Amino acid sequence: MLEYSFSKPNSSRSPSLVTEDLRSFISKIYTVYSTNSASFMGLSSIGTASDGMQLCIFDLRRGQHEGQELDKILYFFPADLPFSTQLSVIGLSEGLITFTRIFSPEAACEVIEAERHSHVFYEAEPDIWMVMIVEKSKDSEAIWRIDALREVLKEIHSLFVMFHGSIRALLEREPGGGLTRAHLYPFIMDYLRACQKRSPLDKCCCGNAEVAVSDGLIWIYFLVGKKLQLPSFRDCLMERRSVQMLTVGREAAIEVQTLVRILESSAGNLPCFSLILFQDLLVSTTLSPEDTINLYKYAVLRLTPLALSSGAKSWSYLRKGNSSSHVSIGSTLLSTGSVSEQFYGSHDASPAGDNRYHVTRPLQHDKWFKGKDGFLITDIWGGDIGSLNVTTPTVWLHQTEERMYLCAYQYKSLTIILLIPLSSILNGDQGVSILKQQLLENASLKILKVEEKLSKGWGGENAYHVSGYRYLLVDGNRDISRASPPTKVTTLSKESLLALNRLREEVDAEKSRAKWDNPGREKDLEVCIRAKNNAWAVARITGGKELYMVLEKANETLLYASDAVEKFSNRYCSGTFSLD
Amino acid sequence: MAGKASSSQTSVGGLGSGAVSHVFIHYPPLRCNIPGSRGFYYDDGNKLLISPTSDQVFSWKTVPFSPNAAPNIDSITEGPICSIRFSLDEKLIAVQRSNTSIDFLHRETGEVFTHRCKSESESILGFFWTDCPSCDIVVVKISGLDLFAYDHASKSLALVETKKMNVSWYVYTHESRLVLLASGMQCKSFHGFQLSSAGIIRLPKFEMVMAKPEANSKPVLASEDVYIVTVYGRIYCLQVDRVAMVLHSYRFYRDAIIQQGSLPIYSSKVAVSVVDNVLLVHQVDAKVVILYDIFSDSRAPISAPLPVLLRGFSRSDSFTSRPSTKESESLQASDSNDNESIVYGDGWTFLAISASSSEIPSVLEFLQRRKLEANKAKQLCLAIMQTMILECRPITMVAKAMDVLVTSYAHSLKTGTYFKGIKTERTPSSVSNVSGSGQVIDVNTGRTDGLGKSLQRESAPRVNSVSASDTEDSSSLEPSKISSNDTQFDGGKVDIGAESCTTGNPLNASVSDQQESQLTSPAISPDEMYKFVFAPIEEEMIGEPSYLVAIILELFRSANLEKVKVHPNLFVLTIQLLARSEQYAELGLFVINKIIEPSKEVALQLLESGRQNFQIRKLGSDMMRQLSLHQDYVLLLVQDGYYLEALRYARKHKVTTIRPSLFLEAAFTSNDSQHLAAVLRFFSDFIPGFRSTSDFFTYYHILNEMNSSSVVA
Repeated sequence: MLEYSFSKPNSSRSPSLVTEDLRSFISKIYTVYSTNSASFMGLSSIGTASDGMQLCIFDLRRGQHEGQELDKILYFFPADLPFSTQLSVIGLSEGLITFTRIFSPEAACEVIEAERHSHVFYEAEPDIWMVMIVEKSKDSEAIWRIDALREVLKEIHSLFVMFHGSIRALLEREPGGGLTRAHLYPFIMDYLRACQKRSPLDKCCCGNAEVAVSDGLIWIYFLVGKKLQLPSFRDCLMERRSVQMLTVGREAAIEVQTLVRILESSAGNLPCFSLILFQDLLVSTTLSPEDTINLYKYAVLRLTPLALSSGAKSWSYLRKGNSSSHVSIGSTLLSTGSVSEQFYGSHDASPAGDNRYHVTRPLQHDKWFKGKDGFLITDIWGGDIGSLNVTTPTVWLHQTEERMYLCAYQYKSLTIILLIPLSSILNGDQGVSILKQQLLENASLKILKVEEKLSKGWGGENAYHVSGYRYLLVDGNRDISRASPPTKVTTLSKESLLALNRLREEVDAEKSRAKWDNPGREKDLEVCIRAKNNAWAVARITGGKELYMVLEKANETLLYASDAVEKFSNRYCSGTFSLD
Repeated sequence: MAGKASSSQTSVGGLGSGAVSHVFIHYPPLRCNIPGSRGFYYDDGNKLLISPTSDQVFSWKTVPFSPNAAPNIDSITEGPICSIRFSLDEKLIAVQRSNTSIDFLHRETGEVFTHRCKSESESILGFFWTDCPSCDIVVVKISGLDLFAYDHASKSLALVETKKMNVSWYVYTHESRLVLLASGMQCKSFHGFQLSSAGIIRLPKFEMVMAKPEANSKPVLASEDVYIVTVYGRIYCLQVDRVAMVLHSYRFYRDAIIQQGSLPIYSSKVAVSVVDNVLLVHQVDAKVVILYDIFSDSRAPISAPLPVLLRGFSRSDSFTSRPSTKESESLQASDSNDNESIVYGDGWTFLAISASSSEIPSVLEFLQRRKLEANKAKQLCLAIMQTMILECRPITMVAKAMDVLVTSYAHSLKTGTYFKGIKTERTPSSVSNVSGSGQVIDVNTGRTDGLGKSLQRESAPRVNSVSASDTEDSSSLEPSKISSNDTQFDGGKVDIGAESCTTGNPLNASVSDQQESQLTSPAISPDEMYKFVFAPIEEEMIGEPSYLVAIILELFRSANLEKVKVHPNLFVLTIQLLARSEQYAELGLFVINKIIEPSKEVALQLLESGRQNFQIRKLGSDMMRQLSLHQDYVLLLVQDGYYLEALRYARKHKVTTIRPSLFLEAAFTSNDSQHLAAVLRFFSDFIPGFRSTSDFFTYYHILNEMNSSSVVA
């Protein structure tokens, strides 16, 4: 077990007793931890708690008066750091932002490279900043691309917004900030846990615990596996904020699109959106790119057959086989002193009682099930899974700025997500179940047919492997990417991967420079570098499309490597990257 | 008797409000005055109506039919006439004189020779001409078949083959080339031969089913109770079982005869005919005709029974004028029965009936099987399709309808019937009937469904007053509105089909009609589907773009299944619709997955629609490149300011048609002297003589100015 929720304390004990026990338990661990913590102050001490990553979210519009500094902290990981340390981290970031804004009011600093840490900045919403601090350890695996880290921040934020709305809106709803913190904390913990690498030893339930207080309950996380995955150089052949698509023939594509039409028509005249996945690959979407990415991510994380069947592979094969750099978060404990309690949740009453904030945790693990009718159900949004009387999940769409009901239906490898505006269904869950019924009546035959067609054309996990090549193809116009299967990427030597990682950093820098120099213009770019092991790392960018490639057996000459790229481009990219 | 033998107007209850099926006869009929006529014979091999007198043979071609045509007259020797048939090349006339002899008359030379049975005991039941390669004429005798070849040189018959068997009576139709020979006590055992141009096929012997009225009686099957019918190219035999009051049907295969089930009959006297592949069962006593479409599995009639008004005729020897037929294949050969002949005057069309049915896809299926009035069936199909879409019927239903039409088209392509018709159809008049942007549709089926019908029984002598056309006639021509379910196709602009079959014009009168009627298949090509269904309603469907896209998708789906190309404008229309409703995600998928097939028009539309959406514009320019439209692509790059990329591309693909000044102008507007210098250099290097052009001097000057000003700055 990875997670315990003490929602119902043992009846023989009084609630306060439990709290006492927990506190003593936690403080014990905390003592152990603090003795280990380094005694440096300021920057150098930041990483000590977790000897790895720190992540914070703060609002520049808050806590601008002396004595109210704590107000600006919306989230801090690890939460057990003393507030003084948290404030010093945030204070530094704030200072840097303010300083750099003098020169670049539109875009303040993006990254600070200190001797032992990298600080990655991301302005998620106006004046709401997310900062990630990663330690440059001597561990040779701890090499990453700053942009990849920033993508993590973007992903956390956009997923959060999809489920809870914008942080600013939450702050406006409850200016005290408690509501926002109560949402952010469990959400990001769930996210990080999803990123966490699992080992077979996970089963043994000993070691350290993380305690969070939210929803009026005490959540205790036992982070046993301790490895938190951050994107490292080994992930340089993947693009986080993009969608992987299934390539289908014309006939299957038409079938899929007719299914989409039937899905929409079964919702009557209601405006609705749909997303169809086959395995972990997107087949069709009617959503805007931004919403597609978020929902796709969520589906792959929690809804697809793979995600449902094995929690252990929660990131599915997108990450499988990658041994990323990891940050130990094992010793990150929440110091649940009374301050912290009130800070991160509402623990002023009994732990099991009063729900001051009703917080849903959409990223929670093992919470989705496939119902008998094929629809996926969860009690994350409330209700009781046993009685099948559950509240329908809702998400907030970026495109329409509207809250939508989320209905997910699964047939074999096919996952269909239907989004219907809350406003268009008057009688809530009852209306949704009527709609589900209609959907089954109208579309089930078609779904059968589409699944069969797609299964027939499906080439398996290695369908998009091109032998001799290790590649990443990104269509920035449409936020789509395709890459060599991860299992194939692992066959590359470390040198090759490091070279490509380096190359991508270079390209990232070039792209962001071009973006400022010449907004709206796309730059064509071609870079080839030779790694120590004589492998070629190639990047070609043209018309918003990017191709990254590692050729380990590309012989001696650049000409050979260039030929190989050309061939690949003509064969698999309809000549997009064929330059001359 | 002039004109109408029967006329009726019925409201077909239950099938739709206001649906009216009409039955009336073609008018004017064929009039003739042949003194001494010995009756009428119909030669189905040549589609001739024959009336012999004692020494002459009058014959009229029934296809094409003209009421004013003068008969051909041949002289024959006097004598009794049992039956008469022209040879298939119409050079010979064979007249059966008795049950032992047949006379042959050579029409050009007038020579006559006589064929007699070898033995006196043999009796000739009848004969027919055949296009079988080994023989020309088949004589049916009680002892079997004699197959003869006609020897032109010696002007005699040479026996080719004899097939021995007992024959009580036989039935033959030229259309099926099938002869059925009845034998046995009850005459219910059958031998069958098909003598076609492909050779002779002997069918296995089979028995027909006869119910027994009581234990010991055995009814005998009569030849008039057996009909060979050809429906959709399949050969069936229909057998009346008077005891069980059913009509059994059998289907013939090369190696088997399989009973297909039975239809109920409501009259002891039944006649069967086929018009346009629809089976007509005339329930003579009940005075109704029931129509069946045997193609569909259902044994239910396709329409409510149509009433038939019977009027007896005098069998006048001196004066006969009778309605004749336009469609001869529906005529049962009457030559084997000299006492009684049944002639159906027809001109059935089933458009009205089908339009009144509520199951639209099956209606379309039915219409697509029409061969007569193919054009009207086609126009009606188009109108039905259009109306379905305008009324936003459920997508699944429209999809089914689409499947029907596309499958039918694909089938007609395979069999070649589509192009056969289309060659003669390429006149503007034939396609202009559907006027654009019709709001609502009015189908004047009342005009198009001239159902002419007369059933005459010569055996019932009764003097019938010569009546002019009934007043009912005019009322039957009231335009009726077809309706499907509860929705009326009311009011409207789109006229379906040219009007025809008005009482004044027994045949399609106008020239355009003539051409249209040459259409052999009502199949609708994807081009026509676009022109007559989608293009006219495009404007009206603006409010429902996603519905229309769904419908177009269904068309793509069926077309793809049948490997039929759709009209390229449909792709353009799809892009417009998706872009209009800002469904850019879908549009992207449509293009990437090639649901919208790449073409220059599509690429241009993507660029146009991409003004609002950068990604879509990208797709358009990518398509340009992939289609190797080099010049357009280079121009596009220059327009978008990517002049350096354009130059590189132009050089690679040897595009030389674009003026250098375009590139230079683009470089100049970007205000980058380095780039301008590079472009200038490019042209100087690659275009011989460029240095002496005015472009060079102009931009060289400009470049110098730019450089000097930047130095000053």
